[in-house]
Amino acid sequence: MAIKTTVLTRPKMKETSYLRAALKGMKITLAHMLNPKSVTQQYPEVETRLSPRWRGTHRMEVHADGRPKCVACGLCPTVCPANCIRLVGGEDDQGNRYPVVYEIDEFRCIFCGMCQEVCPVEAIHVGQDFENAEYTRDRFVYDLDRLMNQDHPTSLLWDPTDPKSE
Amino acid sequence: MAEHNSTPKDDQYVNLVVDDVSISVEKGTTILEAAKQAGTEVPHYCYHAGLSSPAQCRLCLVEVEGAPKLMPSCTTIVTEGQVVRTDSDVATKMRQGVLEFYLVNHPLDCPICDQSGECDLQDFVFSEGRKHGRSRAAKRVLGRDDFGGDVLFYGDRCVMCTRCVRFMEEVEEKPLLSVVERGNRSVIDTFFDQGLGDAEWAGNIVDICPVGALVSKDFLYKARAWDLEHTPSICPNCSMGCNIDIHTRDNVVQRFKPRENKDVNGHWMCDYGRSRYEWLNEGKRIEEPLSTTSDGDLQTSLNWEEALRELGEKLKSSGGTLKVIASPLSSNEDVGATVRLIQALGGGEIVFRSATTSKEVPLPGFKGLKRTKYLAPNIEGLKVLGAKYVGDEKGSGGLQAISQHTEIVLVMGDRLEDQTEKFGSEAELLIYLGSHFSEALQEADFIFPINTFAETSGTFTNCDRRVQKFSGSLEGPCEARPAWSVLNDLVRIITGSESSHNVADAFNQLSGISEVFAGTSYSDLMPRGFKLKHDPPMTRD
Repeated sequence: MAIKTTVLTRPKMKETSYLRAALKGMKITLAHMLNPKSVTQQYPEVETRLSPRWRGTHRMEVHADGRPKCVACGLCPTVCPANCIRLVGGEDDQGNRYPVVYEIDEFRCIFCGMCQEVCPVEAIHVGQDFENAEYTRDRFVYDLDRLMNQDHPTSLLWDPTDPKSE
Repeated sequence: MAEHNSTPKDDQYVNLVVDDVSISVEKGTTILEAAKQAGTEVPHYCYHAGLSSPAQCRLCLVEVEGAPKLMPSCTTIVTEGQVVRTDSDVATKMRQGVLEFYLVNHPLDCPICDQSGECDLQDFVFSEGRKHGRSRAAKRVLGRDDFGGDVLFYGDRCVMCTRCVRFMEEVEEKPLLSVVERGNRSVIDTFFDQGLGDAEWAGNIVDICPVGALVSKDFLYKARAWDLEHTPSICPNCSMGCNIDIHTRDNVVQRFKPRENKDVNGHWMCDYGRSRYEWLNEGKRIEEPLSTTSDGDLQTSLNWEEALRELGEKLKSSGGTLKVIASPLSSNEDVGATVRLIQALGGGEIVFRSATTSKEVPLPGFKGLKRTKYLAPNIEGLKVLGAKYVGDEKGSGGLQAISQHTEIVLVMGDRLEDQTEKFGSEAELLIYLGSHFSEALQEADFIFPINTFAETSGTFTNCDRRVQKFSGSLEGPCEARPAWSVLNDLVRIITGSESSHNVADAFNQLSGISEVFAGTSYSDLMPRGFKLKHDPPMTRD
């Protein structure tokens, strides 16, 4: 079989230069750098904006005198689909019903917000928070003190500008 | 049972129609009870099957064809051919109106009310009340009052059904409660400083209160009604054998509640019985079979198989007489298995001790119901099966003969709290079958974990020789077994006979042991137990 040879001509300088492509790329970069409509968030330097419906780790509301608002009615552990709330009720020194033990296992929690929805005294809330990292797993079982000390905003469960989710 | 099976004559029965269901009920039945038999629950507060009916709550009003107005079903007696409508427009509208009135002063504090979940007001308003109340008037506020005993009174929640007042008057016959004031100011109260402290059965008013007005101090805020598991059982605190439900949550006993048995306790149980359950929640359980080596102190844990085989061999080779100290909480099956073990070893005796009180505490309004002198459930069962009562009224002493017994001593359930570690040092073999560790029996040759009565099924024989069944409500340590099962396995190892695999087998073996149990069967125990027919000569001690 005869060998067929094809001679390729070397491309011209204009076609092989990377300068054009590089400048094109840099044009895009610079355009984005100067674009006032940029969508990149400078997290963590700049705080993230969360939806008012965001459901994150819980928060327990407190009375002015520092007692938890919870009356240990037992509705949140009953309604909780993940079974992550442990509640033991008792009587405090003023004869009121209060939670002796109130623990939420945030690992088990599916953040459905039903505990907040069912609470008759608006004590337990899911919160607008997502920075939950811990070094040990057991730190994810939040006890009553920790829930009371959380200070992030609570979830609204619905968007006030769009109450019907349309 | 046989006495109820006499065929009723036709003229003792009345035919009527309730909500399109034709039924035939006994003459003298109220419409409310007839409706219940027809499958309709008519809402009611003041009516209670164990009390008189004042027909004052006005909630059980039903339409009776031909009657000029709605009739209170709790006091109206059925007549032949009556047509009753509980769900007609007139009746439901009436009930809705009555319920709205009930809520005028009700605080709606269900989240903190202990009755929530088992509350008649909650249930009835939910099923047929208005969605929203129309009253804008300020609610009456009374706060809470300590009635003494175990009873707290929340006046705001009261619906003035007066069940509690009638219970104290008619059943306990100590009229310590009364309605004070009139009209919408009326309230239940005790007499000045005299509370319910003297009453021995006042806990029942908490049970019969249809709302959360009367609550138990012991149970206050402890658990929610819907979290509790109910297990039918028998009260272990005297030999009356009151039928109870054990309410547990997360494997912890929360309270005892009476369960209806018209042959024994009706709807009631005494305060003494209902308040003594804490020992069931105690720790310090024996977790696994233990044996002491020949040099004394060292206790090694064994698995059941090797422990029983080792003990079986020892029993076979020693072959001495067996003296048993049983607990009065032992079930009939436990005692039966002990008797079989004694028979297999060729001789021995069973003794038991029990705390007693000097006098019985009867409930005047319910014939036959009392707190007995013996404060343990199976005294009669032990006696029937040949055990001997020893010791004093505190349930201590009486063991001199056994502590010097040189052959085999078996302690079953009794913690021997009055004895020292020297107990049984003379014995060749000391065996302890117990649920909790015992100071005196630390050095027993064999220690076996057994279940308490709340962790297993079995039967108790009450003071009237009625055999009644209880069921397991708690989970014990995973290695614990019922005493009858351990003893029957020992008998199998010694004699090679068939062991019993379940509690029904163990019970049915009793008929071979005692002629009193001849012809009885475990399947006959439901629903209300049966009386032992044949009476052997009573052994007095």
